[in-house]
Amino acid sequence: MSYLVAVFVLTLITLIVAQSFNFVFGLGALLNLAHLSAYAIGAYTTAILATEHAYPFWLYFPLSIFVSAFFSLLVSAIATRLSQDYFLIGTLAFSALVTALLINWKSLTRGVLGIPGIPRPPFLTSPFVSPELAFLILVIVVTLLSLAILLYLFQTPLARALRAQGELEAALVSLGRDTHLIRTLALVISSAFAGAAGSLIALYLSYIDPSSFGLHEMVLVLSIVILGRPGHFWGVIAATFFLCLLPEALRFLDLPSSVLGPLRQLLYAVILFGVVFQRRAVLFPAVRRI
Amino acid sequence: MENLAILPQLLMNALISGSILALAAVGLALMYGLLGILNFAHGQLMILGAYLLLFLSQTLSLPLLVAAPLLVFAGIFLAVTILHLTILPFRNRSPLLCLLSTLALSIVIESTLALLFGVNVQTLAVGLTPAIYQFAGVFVTSLQLLIVCSTLLILALVAVIMGYSPFGRAVRALAAHREGAVTLGNNERQTVTIVFALGTLLAIYGGVLVGYDQSLQPYMGTSFTIKAFAAMILGGLGSVGGAIFGSYLLALVENLAIGLDLGPWSIPAGFKDAFAFCVILLALLFRPEGLFQRGQRKF
Amino acid sequence: MLRVEELALKLGEVAILKGVSFQVAQGATVGIIGPNGCGKTTLFNCLNGFHRSAPGTIFFRGADISASSPYLRARSGLGRVFQNSGVFRSLTLYENLLVALEARDRVLFWNRQKVQHNRLIAQYLSDFGLSDKAHDKASSLSGGQLRLLEIARSVAVGAELLLLDEPTAGVSPKMKGDVERVLRKLVELGKTVVVIEHDINFIQNICQRILVMDQGRIVLDDSPVAIRSNPALQDIYFGGS
Repeated sequence: MSYLVAVFVLTLITLIVAQSFNFVFGLGALLNLAHLSAYAIGAYTTAILATEHAYPFWLYFPLSIFVSAFFSLLVSAIATRLSQDYFLIGTLAFSALVTALLINWKSLTRGVLGIPGIPRPPFLTSPFVSPELAFLILVIVVTLLSLAILLYLFQTPLARALRAQGELEAALVSLGRDTHLIRTLALVISSAFAGAAGSLIALYLSYIDPSSFGLHEMVLVLSIVILGRPGHFWGVIAATFFLCLLPEALRFLDLPSSVLGPLRQLLYAVILFGVVFQRRAVLFPAVRRI
Repeated sequence: MENLAILPQLLMNALISGSILALAAVGLALMYGLLGILNFAHGQLMILGAYLLLFLSQTLSLPLLVAAPLLVFAGIFLAVTILHLTILPFRNRSPLLCLLSTLALSIVIESTLALLFGVNVQTLAVGLTPAIYQFAGVFVTSLQLLIVCSTLLILALVAVIMGYSPFGRAVRALAAHREGAVTLGNNERQTVTIVFALGTLLAIYGGVLVGYDQSLQPYMGTSFTIKAFAAMILGGLGSVGGAIFGSYLLALVENLAIGLDLGPWSIPAGFKDAFAFCVILLALLFRPEGLFQRGQRKF
Repeated sequence: MLRVEELALKLGEVAILKGVSFQVAQGATVGIIGPNGCGKTTLFNCLNGFHRSAPGTIFFRGADISASSPYLRARSGLGRVFQNSGVFRSLTLYENLLVALEARDRVLFWNRQKVQHNRLIAQYLSDFGLSDKAHDKASSLSGGQLRLLEIARSVAVGAELLLLDEPTAGVSPKMKGDVERVLRKLVELGKTVVVIEHDINFIQNICQRILVMDQGRIVLDDSPVAIRSNPALQDIYFGGS
C-alpha cells in the first residue's frame, strides 16, 4: 500500500514538472534545459528554509516558487534573445552552472553531503490518516491546482502567441508582438510550477543532494512531452502516468540499485529516441525561410 | 609576487587542458559547420573511446600496438552508425529533433558505460609512472608533453587538410551551400561521413588522453560537451579555427581564474567547471549583432 | 509616410544594399522590381527592423525608426507580407487572425474583447472570401489563399503601410485577380502599399510608381509607362541588349 502511495506521489510530482514543461516546450518549442534547475532550486529553497531556518510551510512553499521564478527571470534575460541553437546552449549552461553551484557552494547547500532531515509540515499530522496518506493528499491538492491553472493558461492568448512564435517568430514580431516578453513569461511561469514541484519532492524525500537533479532527469520529461504530443494537455497527463509506471516493472527484477539507476536512465533514453524517431515527420515543423 | 611565480605553470596547464578541449571542439565545429547540428553526445563519444581502450588494454590485455588500430576501427564504425541512426534521419527537419536524438544518445552511452564499467573512477594509466620534467619552474609529465605536442601536430594536419586538399575544398564548399542543400547527393554523403568519422576519432583521441592523464568516470561526458560548446562560441560558431582558438582561450581563463591568488576574490578549484559555464553565458549576453547568419537572432 | 536615406547593409564581406534612398507618400502604391539577388527582400528586412545596425536612416510617419525594434515598428503601423508566407500553418485561419487581433490589443491572459474579435474575424474572413475555411488549419490553404490570409492579418493588426514581398509568386492566375482586387481595396481604404514583384504586368496595373533595383541600388524611379519603355531596364534584367 505504501509502495503504491510512493509511486503515486512521484508520478504526480513528475506530472507538474512535465505539464509545465509542456507549456514552454510543447507549445513554444523552447527547449529550456534549465527547467529542472528551477525544480532543483525549488527543492533546495524548501530544504534550506525548512531545516536551518524552520520556516513554516506557508512561507517556504511560496518562497520556493518565487525563487525558482526569479532564477528563470535571469535565464530569460540572456536566453530569450537567442535563436534555437544558442537558446539550447544558454539554458544548458545555466543548468550546468546551477549543478556546479549546488555541489560547490558548500556554505549554502552542504555540497555533495546534501541536506537531510527535511520535516513534513506539521498540519499533515492527523489522527484520521497515516502521514503517508496525508502527504499524498497534499500532493494531490497541489497537482490539481497546478493542472487547473495550466489548463487555463493553455487557452490564453499568451499560449496562442507562444505557438505562433514557436513556428515563425519573425512573422509574429511583424504583427507587433514583443516575442521576448512572450518567451520570458513562458519561462518564468513554467519554472514557477517546477519550483513548486521541487518543494514537494524535497518534503517527500526528506533528504536531497545534488545528484538527484541532473540532466538525465530531463530525458524523462522530454519523453513524456513528446510521447504525449507536444502542446497537448491531456496527452501529456496520460504519457506521464504511462512512463512513470512503466519502470516500476523493473522493480520486480531483483536488481541492485547500482544497476537499477543506470538501467532506468537507459530505458528512458531509448524511449525518448524511439518516440522522436517514430514521430519525426510530425514533430516540430522544419524552420521555414521567409 | 607569488602569482608571477606560478604563472608559467598555469600557462602550461592551460596548454594541456586547452589541447584536449581543442580536440573535442574541432570535431564538433566541423559537424556544426557542415550540417548545422550540435552533437549533444560528443563528450560521451570521447569517454566512450577511452573506456573502449580500457576494455581492450586491461580487460582483454591487448598490447597497445594491437588495441590502438582496433580502437580506430571501432571509432569509425561507431561514427558511421551514429551518423546514420541519430543524425541523418533528422537532417531535413527541425534542428530540435537532432538535438533531442543526440541528447538521448548521450544518455544511452552514459548509462551503458555505467552499467558495464560501474561508476567508480578508473584510469588508463594503470601501472604507468610517467617521467616528470621541470624547466623554468614548470612541472610537466612526459605524458602531458605528448598531449600538447601530438595535439598541435594533429591540429596542424587537420588545418592543412582542410585548407589545401581537394577533400578540404569539398568540405568547405558543402559548408558554404548548406543553406541550399536539402538532400545529400552521394558524394556529399561521403564527405559528411568522413568528416564525422574524423571528428569522432579526434574526440576519442582526446578522451584517451584524458584517461591517461586524469581519470575516467561514466558521467563526465556532459561537462566536456558543454566546454566544447563554450569554446566554439568563443571562437565563433561553425569556425574550426575559432574552435581551436576558443579552446585555448577558455583553458587559459579557467586556469588563471582558479590558479591565481586573488586574495579575498580567489575562486576555489571546485568552481572550475562553473567558470566555463559563466563564460558561455557572458559571451551569449554580449555577442555582437549580426555576426553570424546561422543561429543568430537579428533582433 | 516613409522616407529612406542612404540605407546600406553588409552581411559579412558582401555589401547587399549600397546607399538606398527613396520616399513613399501616404496612400501611394509603389512597386519594386529588379533581378534576383539585387537586395529587394533585404531592403524589406531592413525596413522591418531585422537589421537594426545597418547604416542609414528610416523615417516612418515622421519619426526616425532606424533604431526601433521590429515589434515596435509593427505597432506603429508598418505591416509585412513575407515572400515565403508568414502564415502560421499549424494554426487555423481563425487563430491566425485572432493572434493578430490579440497582438494589436496586447492581450495576454484574458481577452475582454473576445466577442468583438470574433465579429471582426468573421468579417475579415468573409471580405477575403475565406469564411468556409475558418476553422481549418492554415496548412490546407492554396498559395493564393495563404497570401490573402496574410494580407487580412496585416489589415487586422492595423497596418497603415504594407510591405508585400512577391504577393503573386506561386499564385494561380485566377487568384492573382483576387490579390489585385484586395490591393486596390486597401488603397481605397487609404493604406499605403509597397510591392516587390516579378510579374511586371501585375505591378503595372496597380502601381503609380516603380522603383527598379540592381545590385543593391535604386537605379530607376518613375511611372510604370516610363519604366517599361526605358532601355536601361533591358540591360538590368537581361544584361545588355
